[in-house]
Amino acid sequence: MQLIRFATIALSLFAVLLLGACSQEDSVVHVDMKKRARVTASKPAKSITYAYLPQYSHTISFKRHRKLLEYLRNETGLPLRQIFPDTFDEHIKMVERGEIDISYTNPLIYIRLAELGSRAFARIIEPSGNPDFRGQIIVRRDNPLIKSLKDCRGKRWIAVDPGSAGGYLFPMGLFMENGLSLSDFDEVAFAPGPGGKQEKVVLAVNAGAYDLGTIRKGTLDIVRNKTDLDQIRVLAETRSYPGWVYSARKGLDPAIVDRIARAMFRLSMADQREADILRTAGVRGIISAQDADYNPVRQLADRLGMGTGDK
Amino acid sequence: MRIFSRLRFRTKLNLGITAIVVGMAVILLPFVGNMTASALIKENKQRGSALAESLAVRAVDPLLSQDYLRLRNMVDETGDVGDVVYAFIQNRHGRVLTHTFHKGFPSDLIEANHVKKDNRVRIQLLDTGTDRIYDFAAPVIVADERIGTVRIGLSKARINMTINQLTTTLAGLFGGVLFLVTALGTVFARTVTKRLGTLREHAEEMVKGNLDSTSASPPAVHCWEAMNCEMTDCPAYKDTRRRCWYLAGTQCEYHGRKNRDDDTDSCHNCQVFQQNVGDEIQDLAETFDLMALTLKNHIQELREAESNLTHQQSLMGTVLDVNPDRVSMVDTRMIYQAANRAFAMSVGVPAAKIPGATDFKLFPEDEAESRNLEAREVLRTGRRVDRQERMENEDGEEQWFHVVQIPVRDDKGLITGLLRTDRDITDIKVYEEQLIQAQKMESVGKLAGGVAHEINTPLGIILGYAQLLQDDVEQNSQIHKDLATIEKQTKVCRKIVADLLGFSRQTESAKREMCFNNSVMEAASLVKHAFSLDKVTILSDLDDRFPIIYGDPEKLKQVWINLLNNAKDAFAEEGGTIMLRTRLDTPKGIVSLQVADTGSGIPSANLKKIFDPFFSTKSVGKGTGLGLSVSFGIIEDHMGTIEASSPVPDVFSFPQLPDMPPPGPGTVFTVRLPLDHCPVDQPADPKNME
Repeated sequence: MQLIRFATIALSLFAVLLLGACSQEDSVVHVDMKKRARVTASKPAKSITYAYLPQYSHTISFKRHRKLLEYLRNETGLPLRQIFPDTFDEHIKMVERGEIDISYTNPLIYIRLAELGSRAFARIIEPSGNPDFRGQIIVRRDNPLIKSLKDCRGKRWIAVDPGSAGGYLFPMGLFMENGLSLSDFDEVAFAPGPGGKQEKVVLAVNAGAYDLGTIRKGTLDIVRNKTDLDQIRVLAETRSYPGWVYSARKGLDPAIVDRIARAMFRLSMADQREADILRTAGVRGIISAQDADYNPVRQLADRLGMGTGDK
Repeated sequence: MRIFSRLRFRTKLNLGITAIVVGMAVILLPFVGNMTASALIKENKQRGSALAESLAVRAVDPLLSQDYLRLRNMVDETGDVGDVVYAFIQNRHGRVLTHTFHKGFPSDLIEANHVKKDNRVRIQLLDTGTDRIYDFAAPVIVADERIGTVRIGLSKARINMTINQLTTTLAGLFGGVLFLVTALGTVFARTVTKRLGTLREHAEEMVKGNLDSTSASPPAVHCWEAMNCEMTDCPAYKDTRRRCWYLAGTQCEYHGRKNRDDDTDSCHNCQVFQQNVGDEIQDLAETFDLMALTLKNHIQELREAESNLTHQQSLMGTVLDVNPDRVSMVDTRMIYQAANRAFAMSVGVPAAKIPGATDFKLFPEDEAESRNLEAREVLRTGRRVDRQERMENEDGEEQWFHVVQIPVRDDKGLITGLLRTDRDITDIKVYEEQLIQAQKMESVGKLAGGVAHEINTPLGIILGYAQLLQDDVEQNSQIHKDLATIEKQTKVCRKIVADLLGFSRQTESAKREMCFNNSVMEAASLVKHAFSLDKVTILSDLDDRFPIIYGDPEKLKQVWINLLNNAKDAFAEEGGTIMLRTRLDTPKGIVSLQVADTGSGIPSANLKKIFDPFFSTKSVGKGTGLGLSVSFGIIEDHMGTIEASSPVPDVFSFPQLPDMPPPGPGTVFTVRLPLDHCPVDQPADPKNME
């Protein structure tokens, strides 16, 4: 009797264990892997392309301008589409090839695009409320060797891009004013890879890979979540130059440009929805612009040998 | 179960351990296997999800920039990862932008898994017919807008292979554990069974009767050494076989706390206990040894008791068996429990076979029935039965028994059996009859004596007048002859009366010292002549020591003459020989006379009656039947005995004389007289004998 009882208990235990061990089988979808089809790239619909100079990552670029584009599409009824060139050079080349209709670039790139026939039609008001912007020279807060601009001599410098205004051109002008040329630095490097270049400079300085970095003013606010800003010290700021600019490629219907410009100019911080669009895009407003507004930048570029055709 | 119970204990232990391990393997392997499998699948899903999510995040930039080369590189890199079967990326409209397939894209895949924008990743198991694939779909989201979908396929075959490898490894591990456990179990079982084997051998030795062997190892320390004890009268002192805590009445300091003999708790703190105590098997062995020792003592006591009991039984048996009474005992069911030898002989069954038998087996049916009824009555009423019973033995002779039946009671007074005693009182009965006869004879004698005394005087007158009248009548006349006849018959009457008077001892006896031989020879010479006329020869063989006795010479002479006449009457007309023999038995103080003849002898039935008065085999007129009775009376008066036996023993050698008829069986009368006045059965005073 005892043996039978023991066997029953053992069997029950075994059954419970087996039940517990059994996992629920996932539902199965049958797929015929032999049924193959050729994948063909679809031809993109006819649209007016809009590109933001890839000073940040594509994601940030997308996030910043999505709402603006949405607004413009609604306001103008034009099929506006944002595209993402990987580099400044590519941006320029895409404009040259006519692939980018509306460019949102920094002044330095603009003067190059202008040479390709692009014409400025709008410029932004910086979050500071000023339509101009500056470059900044940053070092690690705990770097004891760099107290002034002059201390930068013989140091390693990382800049955003040769085509960057705030992150290279304006600080370069400042260094020149302080008697420093490119050859006075131990090393001059540019942030690698496509997009996100401003952030990369901050990160590289913070990591100690370079002694100093140059960025446009406002970048630190954007990277606030990615790095510890307490470790970063702003060594100097450049003078202000006219800020980012909207330009239409050569040959774009002026009526279209006009419709877009009007819609842009209508944006106001007074309106809650529009203010959100503007804030997301990192601006306070968009105002009209002329090509002549960017002459100071052209002059600085020329002075530094970074004018037309130069990087 | 039977086969299992026959297995050796060591094998059982090994089997048990193996069964546990195998059982664990059987129970745990599927469990662990399944658990591992689900863990692996879960892990794989997480890995696939991570891969898909990572790819979705990395694909944002190339998707935005429509950099199909980078997208292609990304999916190729992902596809290079071990078990990734495929990877592809769709745009926001679901169109496949790039994939890792060669020669076309399997169009079914697009619809196989749909992930919503809100989900991080969706997993769908696909069955391709040859393989199973986990499909991971992750949306590519940027700024809360979906710009595409990443799809990755992970082969389940690889997971299955890993699971199989794991299960095989686990099974191998269990096999190794089984081997290890069995080996360890064997060593363990051998250790245990070796000790059990020692115990078993000890038990076998005990069964064989050897109670001196020990199975427990000797104690590590002895209590008197450890405690520096010198109490030589303590039972544990110098006892090397038993552990002191098993002993009662020890005198160590812990003993005071021992309340009972079997209370060993108080010893648990003692250093002797702590150094000597072992495991359960050790305890068992020690208990075994103690048991053997105790058993030995008990057996010794039992043997002594048994020997004592056997002795008592033998004594009791002897007492019962030498008892001539038939003793038997039955229980309440009337089954015999015991009986003595006399009873066994009476029923003709060996005494050993009687216990267990019933009356119906031992006795004829009628007798058994009556015994049974009577016994049941005693058992029922509890009343003792005490009676005499007449029976006949197988020879038809009458036997008398005194039967006593007593109920046997236990200590509570309840009847548990019946004890029956049958005592043979046949002889007593005979004596009783003889006594009655003797009393009757005495009365007759007294009556006859009285009558004879009264008749004697008239007889004298009749005789006197008859003689006187003879003188008055002519001789040879008829009257004279008639008177002579009256005189003769009157004399016969007077002789009878004289004999009667003698028998009833109403005559005076005059005892004096006299010569036994002379008395005998006097009587012989008196009759010798007359006997010779009847061709009867008297021979004598007299003791030459001439014993002297104290007696009445006249009366004794009468006895001798009676005996001689009796002998002569035993002869037919051809005559015969009478032998007289006297013998002096000085140690017994007896002198005897034997009168033997070669006559016709006496039948044994008559031998007892020949001394009765008026008993005679002679023809009417030849004897009065009082001769031997009177002789008996005279010899009894002399404190002697008289007896007769027939035929004559061979010790009497009668010489064969010429003209003598062949001797008959003959009769010998033996008279024994004491030399002194004391009775025959008492030895005579040696002084008087001289």
